[in-house]
Amino acid sequence: MTATIEKRSPEESIALKSLPGRLRELAAARSDDIALREKEFGIWQETTYGEFWLDVQAAAMGLWQLGVRPGDKVAIQSENRKAWVIADLATQAIQAVSVGLYATNPTAEVAYLLEHSESKVLIAEDQEQVDKALAVESLPDLEKIVYVEPRGVRSYTDPRLMSWNAFMAAGRAAMADEPHRVNGLVDTIDSNETATLVYTSGTTGPPKGAMLSHRNLSWVTESAQDLIGAGGLPNGQPQLLSYLPLCHVFGRLYDVCGALAMGSCVNFAESIETVVADLAEIQPTYFPAPPRIWEKMHALVNIRMADASFTKRALYKVFLKAGMKNADRLLATGSRGFVGEIVHAVGYVLVFRSLQRKLGMQRCQQAVSGAAPIAPEVIRFFQAIGIPLYEAWGMTETTALGTSNLPGSARLGTIGKAVNEEVEIRLDDDGEILIRSPGIFQGYFKNPEATAETIDVDGWMHTGDIAEKDDGFFRIIDRKKDIIITAGGKNVSPSEIENKLKVSPFIKEAMVIGDRRKYLTALIGIELDTVSNWAQRKGITFTTYRDLSEKPEVIELIQKQVDAANEHFARVETVKKFALIPKELDHEEGELTATQKLKRKVLVDRFSEIIEQMYR
Amino acid sequence: MRGRPALFTRYEADSAMLPTTTQRVWLGIGLVAVVGAAIWLPRDWLILIATAFIASIGVIGLNLVTGYAGQVSLGHAFFLGVGAYAGAAFGGEATEKLIGMGLDVIWWVPLAGITAGLIGAAIAPIAVRLRGLYLAFLTLGLVFLGEHIFREWDSVTGGPGIGRKPGVLRLAGWRFDLDGEIAGYAITREQQIYWLTLIILVIMAFAAKNIVRSRIGRAFAAVRDRDIAAEVMGIDLTRYKVLAFGVSSFYAGVAGALLFTVTGFVNTNSFNLLLSFTYIAMVVIGGAASITGSIMGAAFLTLLPRIIDGLGGAVPFLEVSSTGLLSTSQLERIVFGALIIGFLIFEPNGLNGIWMRLRNYWKAWPFSY
Repeated sequence: MTATIEKRSPEESIALKSLPGRLRELAAARSDDIALREKEFGIWQETTYGEFWLDVQAAAMGLWQLGVRPGDKVAIQSENRKAWVIADLATQAIQAVSVGLYATNPTAEVAYLLEHSESKVLIAEDQEQVDKALAVESLPDLEKIVYVEPRGVRSYTDPRLMSWNAFMAAGRAAMADEPHRVNGLVDTIDSNETATLVYTSGTTGPPKGAMLSHRNLSWVTESAQDLIGAGGLPNGQPQLLSYLPLCHVFGRLYDVCGALAMGSCVNFAESIETVVADLAEIQPTYFPAPPRIWEKMHALVNIRMADASFTKRALYKVFLKAGMKNADRLLATGSRGFVGEIVHAVGYVLVFRSLQRKLGMQRCQQAVSGAAPIAPEVIRFFQAIGIPLYEAWGMTETTALGTSNLPGSARLGTIGKAVNEEVEIRLDDDGEILIRSPGIFQGYFKNPEATAETIDVDGWMHTGDIAEKDDGFFRIIDRKKDIIITAGGKNVSPSEIENKLKVSPFIKEAMVIGDRRKYLTALIGIELDTVSNWAQRKGITFTTYRDLSEKPEVIELIQKQVDAANEHFARVETVKKFALIPKELDHEEGELTATQKLKRKVLVDRFSEIIEQMYR
Repeated sequence: MRGRPALFTRYEADSAMLPTTTQRVWLGIGLVAVVGAAIWLPRDWLILIATAFIASIGVIGLNLVTGYAGQVSLGHAFFLGVGAYAGAAFGGEATEKLIGMGLDVIWWVPLAGITAGLIGAAIAPIAVRLRGLYLAFLTLGLVFLGEHIFREWDSVTGGPGIGRKPGVLRLAGWRFDLDGEIAGYAITREQQIYWLTLIILVIMAFAAKNIVRSRIGRAFAAVRDRDIAAEVMGIDLTRYKVLAFGVSSFYAGVAGALLFTVTGFVNTNSFNLLLSFTYIAMVVIGGAASITGSIMGAAFLTLLPRIIDGLGGAVPFLEVSSTGLLSTSQLERIVFGALIIGFLIFEPNGLNGIWMRLRNYWKAWPFSY
């Protein structure tokens, strides 16, 4: 049923030349398979691989008509949707370079990204994104803005604006005149040319544009099947839910490379708010998510179970306990054992089956946590309820692939082993991970200094992550620049402590502080959903997020969570004091990156008074 | 989609009555059980259940206008009466005093429904102008008007105290109301009535289900929830209110025509306010705005007297005759009243609400919501 890529012998070079080329192959081989689904007017509208390739060709001709030539940049600022992947592949098909912008990027960042990338055309999702681009005073390179949703934009008079429908119609007309142009361009793609620019979120300084070549993406696509599908192939076509931002490599790995590798069907979530409902409908075969999503799911189960009736709660407790034992055994040996399987089968019928269905994980063959470190407890929990969750590690600069835990080769708390034999990894003297693989990027766009700092003359990429190697498994300690050295001279990894704190369903954000200080403290942001639910059950009245954060009962509750986390650490590594952040952190206000990572410097500046108070 | 029951790629699948194979299988098993039950059920129970089937049709009709479209109607007894007499006139035997056309059952049952439906639709334009209590009073008036007409129109109704026979259950020479024999198997009159009414109920229930899950049903619900808002959304109030009364009366007409074939006799004073109230009670106890609830409510209230009768003598102080402390008929009335009060207070969604809660308990598993 699934379209798999022919395995090649190791000495052959990468057989696949480009993603558009791969799509063309699929469209020829299985043109009636569903490629994309997008929810519109309440039902999932389908696009087959045949139609997908026609759309990509039309969009490619549309871009060609607008004057886009090989090497030009095309920016896409949109939530995940059909138009995103069509525009991306169309851009690559005419040997131009796609640039993804987050839909959440504020105007100032949009200005920087459009200018820095020298984008010629912008594909903007809706009025919001169009407004951001129009608010920028001078963009000499930007010639056309194509908007996908016409609502609110119809009355705009800017001559650069064009609707997606008009754009596609023009492309189709041009395709009728020159039916072979796109095919010719796809045939002549030089796999060493840049295919896409991926701007890294930049917790420090402005974002840097990592150049990924066709070769990088092709290698990832060829490797994807053995990794994504390591948990087994489904009975039919694999289903994916596209919700991770496509401008991030993690999203691209699954929704473009993985989909094209296995001929999967990509279902676009309606929006980030509806992901939980969409998950339950799609029941994806493979599911990637950052720790934040897994933590949130974990918290959701905890809260809902706390509210459940006695019988349900009791059953859940019994089987979760048994499941935890099973999880340890499964992760250690790759099998639950005979008795374990029986216990799991009973638990599956009584509890886990419906629990998995509620979470949208019932058909999940393999789930991955990546993009940030995750607490082992969370992985253990999901393994216990029968969801095969594994931690993996990769970076934009390695085209998403680096190391991974896989079924039968997993160790809790580590990022696993190198994904395949083509990836070489060694540790530098200070423990920094150095990596060399066909996925290593070409360099930062218009930033040779940064490129030289990252890739050394032998082709090793310096990742900036400090790790230990243990029996082939890598264990990340922290980002090199984040490691805290206390006044006592002790090295502490803040993210490890932060992740332990975030295991608590009540804690959403945690930032450990203590560089050159006597002891460690933490800024903690509460999880509004769960804490307000807790407050309601305790009969505590509150008005706003800030008010809730300042309630003595809530502080006491968080103190308990901090105490529990502290038990895992040596005395110097414990959090002595903490303060609750009085507001929800936000990308718009510069406190988080587009991928929801903390911008530590900004937070230290913004909450300096609160921090100083903890050291008084 | 297979294996992914919540993934809908077509509206037909999204609004399907029985979206999953499991549901289809269970409905099939249920139907076979109900059909098969007739083979061993005693005659008196068969008749009782057949009455419940017929009452269900009437309750579905009332639920359409009251539960779905939100138009309170106390005039259901009137439309049941119209149906009963129209059925008798089209399907009954003519005598020197009475009109009777002697049509087959396949004709006179729909004709009875159409007659009632047309009268309902004719009265509806007046009702459209009223809401709530006023509408209730207007429909109440219909019952009194109807009682008078039924008493006076001797050539159709036979007149008070005399009455007439209902339509004859005859189809192409076959009599459903007589014991018969098919391929060597003896089948009783009661079994035939049971099966016949079951078939009609299934057809009518599926039709109603289709009405309420389509555009018309959504319009009904919009009118019920807020008629002004519905009108703003482009729903023609007059049209849909007339339609609601018309369809509801059609159902009442069919139910009325069949109801008295079971007993074999129509009396002019059967169609009083109490009958209207009984139907309202069936809607309330079964569950407003629910087809399944309509059937549950009708079955429950039809079988209740029989169950209470069964308790007579078995429970101390409870006698079948009225000599003791508490007779079964007294208890029946007490239970009837208590049930209405109890359901309105504790379970406004009726038996269907209880069923839903039971279902949700399992659906939410292992959570509680």
